[in-house]
Amino acid sequence: MDNQSKVPHLAGVIGFFSDPHQLLRATEKVRDSSYKHFDAFSPYPVHGMDAAQGLKRSPLPLVTFAAGLTGGSLGFLLQYWTSVIDWPLIVGGKPLNSWPAFVPVMFECTILFAGLATVGAMFLLNGLPNHKRKAFDPRITRDQFALLIEAPVALEEDQGVKFDEGKTAEFLKSIGAKEVKSVYSEGWF
Amino acid sequence: MAHATTIKNPGNFEVSGTIKNLLLAFVAIGIGTFLLSLKLDPTRAWASFLLNHFYFMSLALGGLFFATLQWITGAMWSAPIRRLGEALTAYLPFVFVTFLVLYLGVPKLYLWSHLEHVQGDLVLEGKSGYLSVGFFLVRNLIAIGLWVFFALKMVGNSIAQDDTRDYRFTEKNRFLSPVFMIVFALSFTMASFDQLMSLDPHWFSTMFGVYCFAGMVYSAFAAICVLTLYLKAQGKLDGLVNENHLHDLGKFTFGFAVFWAYIGFSQFMLIWYANLPEETGYFIRRMQDGWMAVSAFLLVGKFLVPFFILMPRDAKRNPRVLGYIGGFMLIAQWIDVLWMVQPEFFKDGPRIGFTELGVTLGFLGVFGLLLFRFLAKNNVVAIGDPRLEESVFHHHQ
Repeated sequence: MDNQSKVPHLAGVIGFFSDPHQLLRATEKVRDSSYKHFDAFSPYPVHGMDAAQGLKRSPLPLVTFAAGLTGGSLGFLLQYWTSVIDWPLIVGGKPLNSWPAFVPVMFECTILFAGLATVGAMFLLNGLPNHKRKAFDPRITRDQFALLIEAPVALEEDQGVKFDEGKTAEFLKSIGAKEVKSVYSEGWF
Repeated sequence: MAHATTIKNPGNFEVSGTIKNLLLAFVAIGIGTFLLSLKLDPTRAWASFLLNHFYFMSLALGGLFFATLQWITGAMWSAPIRRLGEALTAYLPFVFVTFLVLYLGVPKLYLWSHLEHVQGDLVLEGKSGYLSVGFFLVRNLIAIGLWVFFALKMVGNSIAQDDTRDYRFTEKNRFLSPVFMIVFALSFTMASFDQLMSLDPHWFSTMFGVYCFAGMVYSAFAAICVLTLYLKAQGKLDGLVNENHLHDLGKFTFGFAVFWAYIGFSQFMLIWYANLPEETGYFIRRMQDGWMAVSAFLLVGKFLVPFFILMPRDAKRNPRVLGYIGGFMLIAQWIDVLWMVQPEFFKDGPRIGFTELGVTLGFLGVFGLLLFRFLAKNNVVAIGDPRLEESVFHHHQ
C-alpha cells in the first residue's frame, strides 16, 4: 500500500435499494444525470442493467471470433502438416489430405481456442484477478441492491469538478435509495 | 406489472386480393404443369411432386414442432410469435391429399414396388415385409393422421385460449406436447425412411431421419422469420414483437443452421470413413458430374452463408437481414430435398426447369392460400397466452 491510501479519503456515496426494479430505474436516472462515475451492485445479474448503465458493447465477441478462426485454421494446418508433409502415410486407401477426417479436430480446436481466449480476454478486460478490492458491504452479495456514485479522481478535481457528499446523498435518496452512506477508500480503492 | 391494458389485440390478417389471386394462379400453373409433365416425362413429374410434397409437409410439421417446443418448455420469449408457427400447420391436413396423389406415383418412384426387381435380390427380399405397397400406404396415412390430430388439438387449444384467456389450455398443451414429441420423432423418422430413403431400397443410414428433421426445423425457423417480418412490415405486430424477439428467433435460426451442418456432416463422414460398399453409393452419386456442384452449394450456401451472416448480434436484430436470410434458407432447404430425391433418377446432374418450378409454384400456392386463410380466421398473436404480457415487456423493464 502506498502512502496515499493510508489516509482514508472519500471514495463515493452508496445507496441501497430493496429490489432490482428500483435499482434499474435509479441507475437510469444516474446515467442521465451529470455524475460520470458510478456502478451498480446486485447479488445476481439484473436484466437490462447494461443499457441502464449506458454501457457500450464489449469487444469480447470479436476476440472469440478471431480466436475461433485461428484455432480452426491451426487445427487444419497441424493435421495437414503431420499427415501430408512431415510423415505421409496412406491410411485405409484414403488420400493424404483427407479433409473430412480433419474436421472433428478442427472443430475441437476452434472451440478450445475460442473458449480459452474468451475467458482470458474477459479477465483482462475486467482487470481480474484483483485481490486488492473487497466487497464494501457484505449485504450486496446476499439480498441488497446498491448503487455507488464515485467521487471524481484527483485529476478531475484539479480540473474543477466538485463532489458534494451531502448533495449526492440527497440525490440518491430522491431516486429511491432507502439507505445512504459514504464509502472511504480504505480497502476498497 | 401494470401493463395489461397496453397490449392491443392486433386481430386477424387479411392478405390483399392481388396476392390471393396470384396464389390461385400458382395453383393453376402447378396443376397444369404437373399434368402436362406426367405426359411428357413422368419420372420428372413424380420426382418433383415427391420433392415438393416432402418439402411442404416438413414445413407445416416444422411449424407444429416449433409451437410444441414452446409449450413443452413453457417458453416466454416466443409468446408473441408462436401463433405463426401454429399458422404453418394450416397446410398439414392437405398432406393427406398430396400423399394420396403420391401413392399413385409409387410404381414410378419406388423400385421396391416392382415384384420383378425384388425377386432374386436377397437384400430386397429381406426388406419386402416392410417395403410393401399396402403397408407403405397404411403406416404413412396413420402418421399423417396422428400429426393432423395433434395439430388440430393443440392449435385448437391455443386458439380457444384467445377468447377465454383460460390458463388451463396452456396446461392441456403442456400435457399433450411431450406425447406429440415422442410420436413425432418416431413417425417422422419413418416417413423420411419410407418416402425418401427407400428411393434407393438397398441403401440405409440410421441418421437419415434426423437429417430430414434437421432440415425441417431449419426451414421452419426460416419460414417463421419471414412470416414474422412480413406481418411486422404490414404493421400487425407493432408493440408486440421488437428486436429482442427477433434476436432470439435469429439465434435459434443460426443454431439450427449449425445443427443441420453437424448432422449432415456426421452422416457423410461416417459413411466416407467406413467406406462400406453397401453405404457409399448414396454419396458417390451425389459427388459425381453435376451433383458435386449441388453438394458444394449445400456446404457453402446452406451452412456457411447463414452461419457467417447470422453470427453478428446486429444481423439477428436487423429485420432486413433476418428476412432475406430466412428467404434464402427456405430456398436452400428446397435444394437440399431436391438433392435427396433427384440423384436417384438423374445420375448426371440436377433438373431444375419448368416442371420443377411449375410444380413448386403449385404447392406454394396451396400452402400460401391455407396459411393466409388461417391468418384471416384467427388472431395473428396468441392474445390469451398467460406469458404474452411478460414476453412483450420482458426487455423493456
